[in-house]
Amino acid sequence: MSRDDELLEAGDKALARLEAGDAEVVIVDETSELTRFAGNEMHQSVAQTSRSVRVRLIDDGRIGVGEVRGFGEGAVGRALQAADESRRVTTSPDVPPLPAPDHRADGPVAFAAATAAATPELRAGLVSIVTGTARSHDINAYGALSTSTRTTAIVTTAGVRRAATATQASFVSVARGDDGGGYASRHAADIDALDVDGLAAEVVDTCERNQRATAIDPGEYEVVLSPYAVTDLLEHLGWVGFSALATQEHRSFMRMDERLMSDLVTIRDDPTASDIFPFPFDAEGVSTQAVHLIDRGVCAGVVYDTPTALRDGVTSTGHSLPQPNTWGPLPRHLAMDAGATPWKDMVSSVSRGLYVTRFWYVRDVHPLRTVITGMTREGTFLIEHGRITRPVKDLRFTQSIVEALAAVAEVSRERRLELGEGESGVLAPWLHINRFTFSS
Amino acid sequence: MRQVSERALDAASAAGASYADCRVVNRTVQKITVKNGVVAALERFEDEGVGIRVIVDGAWGFASVDRLDGVSVETATRHAVQIARASSRVNRVAVQLAPAPPLTGVYRTPVTRDPFSVSLDDKVNLLLRTDEAMAHLPQVRIRECSLEFVREERHFASSEGARLDQTIIESGGGLDATATSDDEVQTRSFPNSFGRHQVCAGWEAIEAFDLPGNAGRIAEEAVALLSAPICPAGTMTVILDATQAALQVHESCGHPTELDRALGHEAAYAGTSFLTPDLLGTFRYGSEHVTMTADSTRAPGLGTFGWDDEGVAAQRSVLVNQGIFTGYLSSRETAAAIGQLSNGTMRADGWSRLPIIRMTNVNLEPGTSSLEEMIATTERGVYLETNRSWSIDDRRLNFQFGTQNGWEIVDGKRTRLVRNPIYSGQTPDFWRSCDAVAGPGEWQMLGVVNCGKGQPSQSMHVGHGAAPCRFRNVKVEPAR
Repeated sequence: MSRDDELLEAGDKALARLEAGDAEVVIVDETSELTRFAGNEMHQSVAQTSRSVRVRLIDDGRIGVGEVRGFGEGAVGRALQAADESRRVTTSPDVPPLPAPDHRADGPVAFAAATAAATPELRAGLVSIVTGTARSHDINAYGALSTSTRTTAIVTTAGVRRAATATQASFVSVARGDDGGGYASRHAADIDALDVDGLAAEVVDTCERNQRATAIDPGEYEVVLSPYAVTDLLEHLGWVGFSALATQEHRSFMRMDERLMSDLVTIRDDPTASDIFPFPFDAEGVSTQAVHLIDRGVCAGVVYDTPTALRDGVTSTGHSLPQPNTWGPLPRHLAMDAGATPWKDMVSSVSRGLYVTRFWYVRDVHPLRTVITGMTREGTFLIEHGRITRPVKDLRFTQSIVEALAAVAEVSRERRLELGEGESGVLAPWLHINRFTFSS
Repeated sequence: MRQVSERALDAASAAGASYADCRVVNRTVQKITVKNGVVAALERFEDEGVGIRVIVDGAWGFASVDRLDGVSVETATRHAVQIARASSRVNRVAVQLAPAPPLTGVYRTPVTRDPFSVSLDDKVNLLLRTDEAMAHLPQVRIRECSLEFVREERHFASSEGARLDQTIIESGGGLDATATSDDEVQTRSFPNSFGRHQVCAGWEAIEAFDLPGNAGRIAEEAVALLSAPICPAGTMTVILDATQAALQVHESCGHPTELDRALGHEAAYAGTSFLTPDLLGTFRYGSEHVTMTADSTRAPGLGTFGWDDEGVAAQRSVLVNQGIFTGYLSSRETAAAIGQLSNGTMRADGWSRLPIIRMTNVNLEPGTSSLEEMIATTERGVYLETNRSWSIDDRRLNFQFGTQNGWEIVDGKRTRLVRNPIYSGQTPDFWRSCDAVAGPGEWQMLGVVNCGKGQPSQSMHVGHGAAPCRFRNVKVEPAR
C-alpha cells in the first residue's frame, strides 16, 4: 500500500468514528532532514519524523478543531476528542460548510524519489562541494542543505478524499571573507536537480567581489534586483494584498481593473505550474488553480478560500490555509512573468545605480501602501556607466512595493525558483527599477 | 518519559556516542480567537515526541521522532549517530563542551489557577465581552481578540547523569482593533502587539490584563488614529513605552549577545553580531543608565524555567553593566570556545528541534526616573507606544522601528496624537543616548512569542522586562 493510500485509509477510519455532524480529517506524514554548516564545518545536522492528525468538526453552528502530533495509534482518538471538546461552545449560526468535491483531476505534484531517499552521507557530500570550494579560495562557507518528504491526505464527510506526496530540496549558502560576504541558493523538488557546483561558484564569486565595501550615501537610486531580492517584494505583496480577505476587509492595495504597476509586470499565483513546487489541492481539499493577480500592470484578481468565496459569491481558487483561520487565503506559488532582457545586460543600461543581491529582515511598515523596510545583505554593488564598479556597504531601504513595480524598466528573460521567508515558492526574474529609496 | 530516555541513552552508548542527551517533550496548546463577534477559532493541539542529540567522533548528530516505543526511539538514536558520523568525516575540528554538573530535580511554573482548569465557556465569554466593548465604533472594521494557553512537560536526561523534569505553563491573551477609512488603515493593540501578551503564569494573568475593561479605549484610539496628523519628522527626543522598549531590547541587545551569532554559527541565516568577543568587558554599549540582564529565574517571564535544554541551571547574568558590554548568552559548546562556563540559555522549540542559544528573560533593568518626569523634562519629542514594524540588519546595528501611535511632546507636555511614526538609528549610538529609564513601579515583564532563529526554523517564547525610557537625538519620521 502506498503512503498516500495508507493515510487515506486512516482518514476513512477516523471519519467512521464520528457520531454526528460533519468532519474533515487531515493527516500529514513528514520526514525532514537538514545538514547545516558554519565556518566550513558541519555543526548542526538534524532529522525529524512525525505524523500529525487534524480534525475539524462542524455541527449545528459549532466548530471544534483538534490537532495531534505523536501518540502513535492513539493520535486519531485524541484528535477527535480534542475537537469534540472544543465544539461544545457555540460559534456562529452561519459557519461555512465543508466544500464538496470538485471532481477535477489532480494536477502535477512536486515529487522526486531521489529527494525522498537522500541520506546524511549524500547531503554531507554535497555540502563538502561548497565548503571545499570556499576553502580553496581561503574563505568560509555557511549554510544548510535540507530535504523533506511530506504526504498529505484529506478526507471529509462532504466526500473529499485526496492525497499527495511532495518532496523539496533546498540549499542555502553564505560565504564570508575577511571583510564581506556573498549569498546563493538553489531549490528544487529533486535533489539531483540542484546545481550545487553553480551555487558554490556563485556564492564564492559574490563573496570575493564583495570585499572591502565602502559606504555610499542613502537616497533614491536606479537598481537592478536579483531574484533573491525580487522574491521578498512578491511574497510581501501576497501577504498584504493578494488575499480576498484583505480586499473584503479594506486593507489591501488592490483596486480591481486599475493600473497600479508597469505594463511589464504580470504576476500570477500558480500552484499547478510544474516549476513552482506544484501541489494539487489546498487545506480544504479544493483543487488548486492558477490566478492572475496583476496583468500587465493592472489589478486582475485575488485568491480565495471557501469562506471568502462564499462572501463574494464566487468559487474558491484553492488557496485555503487550514480552516478556520483569521488569516484568509494566501498565494504560495507566486510567479512574475519573464521579460525580454538577458539579466546580464541589465546593468549596461544603468548610468548610476545599485545592484542588490538580496534583502534581509523585510517587514511591512504600512501594509495598505505596501511600504516595507529592510536591509541589503551579502552583495550590494555600485553600478557606474553600465558596469559594476565596486561593492558598497549595506543600506536600509524603505519603499512602497507597488511604486517600485510601477517604475520597472526591464524584466529579465531568466527566472529563478526561490523560497520566500514564509517558505512560499516564488519564480522571480531580475528587475531593473528606475527609482528605489534607500533610507539609511 | 524516563524509560524512553534511558533506552535512548543506552542505544547511543552502544552505537559509539561519546556524549548523548535526550529530551522527551509533551506539549498541549489551547487557542481561542474571537473575530467580529464570532468564535473564529477554537483549537487544541497536543504534541509528543523525543529528540536525541549525540556526539560521535567529535561531531554532533540529532534525530527526533514522534513515537515513544522502544523500536522507534532506538531507530532515531541510531540515525542521530549516523548523521554525526557523516559530519565527522568532513569536519576538521572536534566539538568541545564546557563542563557542567549533572543535575537532578523537578521544576513547575508557579500558578495560582491552572488555565486548563478554567472552562471553555468562561474563556469564550471573556473574549465575547472584550469584542462587544469594541463593537460600538463602526470604523473599527476588524475586531480580534484571543487567548492561548500552553502546558509543556519536559524530561531531560544525559549520558553524564543529568535527570530533570519540568512543567512549564504559559497564559496569554490580547486584542487588536483595526479601523479603516478610504485611504488609511490603523490598528491598536492591547496589552501588546501581534495578538497577545503572554507570561509563564496561570489564569490569574489573564484576569489581570482586564481585556474587556481596556477594549473600548483601544478601539477609540484606533479610530482617532485615522484622522490624526502624521508624525513630525526630524531629529528629536524619543520616549518609548515599556512594550516598545522590550522589543528594542530584544532586537538590539538580546540577539547580538547570543554567543553562537558572535562566533559565526548563525551566519547563514540569522546573521552575526557586532558584539565580537574582543569587545567583552570594555565596549561602551550604552550610557550609564543602561544595565541589561539575562535572568531565567525571574517570573513570570517567558524565559523562566528550572534548567535549560542542556541541563544547565537557570541563572542571572549581566549582559550590559551601566553601559559596558559584559556578557553573552551561551551554551556549553560556545562557552568553551571563549574559556567560560555556559550560563544556561540553550532552548529548543519542542522535541523535534535541536537546542540552540535563545534569549531567556533579557531585561532592561529599572532606573530611577518616571514617564511623567521624562515627558516633563522634554522640550520637543515624541512618546511612542506599541510596536507596529521592526527591522534590523544581520549584525544588529542598523535598526528601524515603527509604532502604532505617537504623542507629540512640546515644552514638557504631551500634546497631540500622531500616526505612522517610525524611528531609526545605530544600536550603540542609540543606547548611549539613553538618559533616563523609569523605576521599578513602571517596570513590566513583557515578552515576544514569535522569535525566529535557526535552520530548520524555530520559534521561541522569550521574556523581556522593561520600563519606559528616553533617548536623545533620534531620527524620527512618518511612514509615507
